[in-house]
Amino acid sequence: MTTNTLSRRRFLKVSAQAGGGLFIAAHLPGCSFGGALPIDLADDGFVPNAFLQLTTTNDVIFYCPADEMGQGIRTGLATLVGEELDVHPETMRVVSAGSHEDYNNPEYEMQLTGGSNAIRAFHEPLRQIGADTRALLLNAASLDLGIPAGQLTTENGMIIAGERRYPYGEFLGTASTLPLPEATPLKTRAQFKFIGSQFPRIDAEEKTTGEAVFGIDIDIPDMVSAVVVRAPVAGSRLISFNPERALGVSGVVDVIAISSGVAVVADSYWQANRAARLVEIEWQSTPLGSVSSATMRADLAAAIENDDQATTDREGDPENAFSESSQRHSAIFFTPLLAHAPMEPLNATLRLKNGVADLWTGVQAIGSAQGLIERITGYPREQIHVHNQYLGGGFGRRATLTHIVEVAEIALAVEKPVQLVWSREDDLQNGLYRPASLMKLHAALDHTGRITGWQARRAGGNLTPDYMRNSLPALMPNLPEFIFEGMTAATDYMLKRWTIDGSSVEGLHETYDLPNREISHVTVDHGLPLTFWRSVGHSYTSFAVESMMDELAEAASLDPVSFRLRQLENKPRMAAVIAKAGDLMNTMSVPEGHNLGLAAHSSFSTDVAQIAEVSVAENKIRVHKVTCVVDCGMAVNPDIIKSQLEGSVMFALTATLHGQIDLERGAVVQSNFHDYPILRMDEAPAVEVVIMPSDAGPTGIGEPGVPPLAPAVANAVYRATGQRLRELPLQLA
Amino acid sequence: MISFHLNGQNVEFSGDPDTPLLWVVRDFFKLKGSKFGCGAGLCGACTMHLDGSAIKTCVLPVAAVAQKQVTTIEGLSTEGELHPLQTAWVAHNVPQCGYCQSGQIMAAAALLKDNPNAGLEDIDRAMAGNICRCGCYPRIKNAIVDAGRQLAGAEKARKAPIAYDAMSEEFEA
Repeated sequence: MTTNTLSRRRFLKVSAQAGGGLFIAAHLPGCSFGGALPIDLADDGFVPNAFLQLTTTNDVIFYCPADEMGQGIRTGLATLVGEELDVHPETMRVVSAGSHEDYNNPEYEMQLTGGSNAIRAFHEPLRQIGADTRALLLNAASLDLGIPAGQLTTENGMIIAGERRYPYGEFLGTASTLPLPEATPLKTRAQFKFIGSQFPRIDAEEKTTGEAVFGIDIDIPDMVSAVVVRAPVAGSRLISFNPERALGVSGVVDVIAISSGVAVVADSYWQANRAARLVEIEWQSTPLGSVSSATMRADLAAAIENDDQATTDREGDPENAFSESSQRHSAIFFTPLLAHAPMEPLNATLRLKNGVADLWTGVQAIGSAQGLIERITGYPREQIHVHNQYLGGGFGRRATLTHIVEVAEIALAVEKPVQLVWSREDDLQNGLYRPASLMKLHAALDHTGRITGWQARRAGGNLTPDYMRNSLPALMPNLPEFIFEGMTAATDYMLKRWTIDGSSVEGLHETYDLPNREISHVTVDHGLPLTFWRSVGHSYTSFAVESMMDELAEAASLDPVSFRLRQLENKPRMAAVIAKAGDLMNTMSVPEGHNLGLAAHSSFSTDVAQIAEVSVAENKIRVHKVTCVVDCGMAVNPDIIKSQLEGSVMFALTATLHGQIDLERGAVVQSNFHDYPILRMDEAPAVEVVIMPSDAGPTGIGEPGVPPLAPAVANAVYRATGQRLRELPLQLA
Repeated sequence: MISFHLNGQNVEFSGDPDTPLLWVVRDFFKLKGSKFGCGAGLCGACTMHLDGSAIKTCVLPVAAVAQKQVTTIEGLSTEGELHPLQTAWVAHNVPQCGYCQSGQIMAAAALLKDNPNAGLEDIDRAMAGNICRCGCYPRIKNAIVDAGRQLAGAEKARKAPIAYDAMSEEFEA
């Protein structure tokens, strides 16, 4: 185990991360677990570093530091380490790493899977670990065989000495006595065997046989099930409750008050959920209780014009650019609140027994889960084991861990192992949401069609205060709540008055050269909990910016491709992506009645352009095909890149055509898939993907395919109907 | 007491007859491959076969399956061999998060059993009750078409009188 002295320094860092907005990395003692590695050592196991265990029976176990929620990260990271170790990813046993600082995401300095950064951030460290471990095995084999290391080579888990082949497992005894080499040279691109090649995801088979284990599948002896009734209006506190009718339901064990509401505990989920509806509860009222979708929209409309409340980030001289321009154009765009709706409802199973806490769940932040259990139960960190399972979808939702707080409170109260399961209704009505946004764009053009001035303002809620509120208690389990309340309030104030929450406005200008620009923000906070939703700020800013680009192209009498290329002189990578998309568009044969729309967006260091083929009949928008061009650097696993873009298109098309969370007197109206519809197979377009060849380091692919889709469809709808739709979900007049 | 056949075995359940089949299978018989997604028959994650037809089990009282044949994802493949749909699922790299896939495969298996030559529109219709939030739809569709071709081929081969002589008894039995 390495000791990272930096991560033990006593300070709290708040820094703006490129593309990720305001990000908090905590460096206080206890916020990152640094005890013994959470590895079950096989009798004959050898652990050269936190990421690998090798056995004499030639098992290679890879402890994957990022959480698998469908994005293919276990396959991707196993490919990186396997490439240098010379072990095929398919033959490794890939398991979820436990909570330990050695698994911290190198950019976040904590265990967090999000922001599409895992491939980018772990690319070099994991390849280095693979290479160093292979070098160690070569050194050990050299000693054991009496052959100079330079005369040995490897092939898929074997040491090769001339005609003879020895499995890695034969040299572990000697390897364990040798120092791990450092800075071993990495392979060149021409030497790659696994990176860039096609093979099935390592989790494909177990996910087709029903054997893959998700958090909700955990079933331990004596376990009871819990369902929590939470306030219909977020933030309302419990005044009183009457458990009597619920207690009358067969199987119900207990009905107790916890910090988020009332927990109904029963022998099974179904009993608990049935009884939960019978608890009579009186809730305190809160200001959010007077907010509806219409008043929220009106508040945003007032805020977007409120210069006094705006915080601003400027570059160049936008005023001058506007005054010198003869052609100006403005437009306002709206995007609604959205829920994540992962297929697996939130859940967690906690056993507190004999001074040991075991938590089974599927979350995007397992270190934080461990911290919350420590905070609430008081168990020492080294006695808290987090067993992270496959995540049945994440999309940002599983990075906020209020359900871990709940399960800990319930387990303490009932003194039995508890499985907490949220119903779908809980998921849609009591969650955290993608904020609603109103965006006003104002552009000045010169006579050549270049954008000379750019003003972009967004009004809406910020994510950072809610993220702090939920994550700081987990990162610093030993500090009292009031400290976090103070820190959160100070940040909230700062973001309203002085500076801009990066994730609130990300994507409003970065894709293009916009030399004279003013990005401004007006915070509108209604008290509804908000969080990251796949592609975060980009999910809405791209709709505004890329719709605007088509509007401006038309104003400049240019086609959408050449207009965009004119704004990309200093962004050659995106220029190449859009040029490629333009070439593809020119050669597409489009059936009569179908129209094409283009959009492009840079996010999370990846550039994506999409062409949507759309028809409109009887006021219904149908998307037939989406062609994606992507530059995500070196393609680690091309087929996973393709599938992430396919999935991003579907995820974004749900938001484009259907997605909308409404509030009525502060409560979420939608309750299940009948009124929060998700795209189904008969609406799914065909997707084609072109990956730009690249030698650059790999960048993320979980999110960047989401942002361009809505504006690509809106731009196609404009071509089909002449209607410029500036609100999501798209609805024709 | 309700008895039914679960993946070919006779089983009995003595709890509340209103309990949805999904929870009986998951909580009582401990088969966890069928998933809970909505509790309202809207997403299809809980799809099983009831006497060979696909059915959403999160809203189906266990009382309704008395004496009937229930098949779950665990009972789809036989003798350790993957069902052609499962093979196609792996070949097409279909799953992302994987949570909905048991339901998707069970819905597809019921379709192909009746109609291995199902066309794209048949597939759209048969699969309309199954949501995949990760958006694996294009691959699901391709995998179903592929598996259908294989099953149709096997069906043809089975009907050919000579070629299958030695194995046909096993098939018929």
